[in-house]
Amino acid sequence: MSYKCSRCKRDVELDAYGGVRCPYCGHRVLLKERSRDVKEVDVQ
Amino acid sequence: MDLRVIEQQDTELTIEIAGEDHTFMNVLKGALLELDDVAAATYDQNPEQSGGQTEPVLTLKTEGAKPLDCLEQGATLVDEQMNEFRTAFENAR
Amino acid sequence: MATDFDVEFIEDTEREARFLVRGITPAFANGIRRAILADVPTLSIDTVRFVENSSVLFDEVLALRMGLVPLTTPEGEFDEDDTVTLAIDVEGPATAYSGDLVSPDPQVEPADENIPLIELKDGQRLEAEAEAKLGRGRDHAKFQGGVAVGYRHLQHVEVGDDASEYGEDEAQIVRGVIEDGDELVATSEFGHDLTNRYPGKEVTVEDVPNAFVFHVESDGSMPVDELVLRAVDTLSTRADELREKVSL
Repeated sequence: MSYKCSRCKRDVELDAYGGVRCPYCGHRVLLKERSRDVKEVDVQ
Repeated sequence: MDLRVIEQQDTELTIEIAGEDHTFMNVLKGALLELDDVAAATYDQNPEQSGGQTEPVLTLKTEGAKPLDCLEQGATLVDEQMNEFRTAFENAR
Repeated sequence: MATDFDVEFIEDTEREARFLVRGITPAFANGIRRAILADVPTLSIDTVRFVENSSVLFDEVLALRMGLVPLTTPEGEFDEDDTVTLAIDVEGPATAYSGDLVSPDPQVEPADENIPLIELKDGQRLEAEAEAKLGRGRDHAKFQGGVAVGYRHLQHVEVGDDASEYGEDEAQIVRGVIEDGDELVATSEFGHDLTNRYPGKEVTVEDVPNAFVFHVESDGSMPVDELVLRAVDTLSTRADELREKVSL
């Protein structure tokens, strides 16, 4: 999973052991980035 | 459009016209009532929420003629009127 | 059966028309109105593939906004399962308009080019492919070709004696089209108020039986006259089908 640190704006990879924390600046708020997949949506 | 005869007698007919709604049924009913051979014509369409029969059911009584013939005449009349309207509309422009 | 229709246009533009039909039954008039709204197939965007959407709206909301854009629908060129794929690519700061939808087919274009889809701020971008298909108004409002479709009775106006001098000074509001002798007058010409047109007169207004004034407005998918004729076609197709099935 790739996230973005909300303070230092760096891309962050999380693993199962590190907890929710930015390894560069220690900030605990991470933002999930939108997937680069093409998303298909039905109009309704 | 799928037809299913529910009840048929000499001068009476109850028929389901699946796939249609008020748009066509009311026009058809109006045309049927204009025919001299038709004594009574009506249709019934239940709303979705009522459950059961939701396709329109046409009921037709005639003054002695075969009801299926009347239905055919009614459909022909609708078609004729539509064509007449088309001509009148095109000419008016 | 002598049902001779008599059609007369009061207003006739590409997008909007007002016409009088004499000799028409209420059932027939309503059938046409309903067919215009729900049974004339038009093209509309039905699936959107988002490559990038960093705008403030969700994909689903944007997809709906694109779906509601009217597309021109040439007659007889498309079948039920045909699709047209339009593309859009706008980068902020800018507003993405319906006109930014690029079509591969010059016959299928957004009917209006100035419908805002979304305002994009600096760094936001919208890139998507939109697939349009043919559909009917009864399935989704985006497929409706007609907007504000309706009819009213033609009003016959009879001018009587002078109104009493000390009578009430009330406005007499009528909306639609009136028939004054042989003349057809839209009520908007005199502010919908009969006392403007016939000051100091007693007037009586009556519905003319079996004479309806239709007002039809197109969303731009096709010209109004085509819309009406295609609606008539759908009804006569169904009548044909019924006749064939019954005669078997």
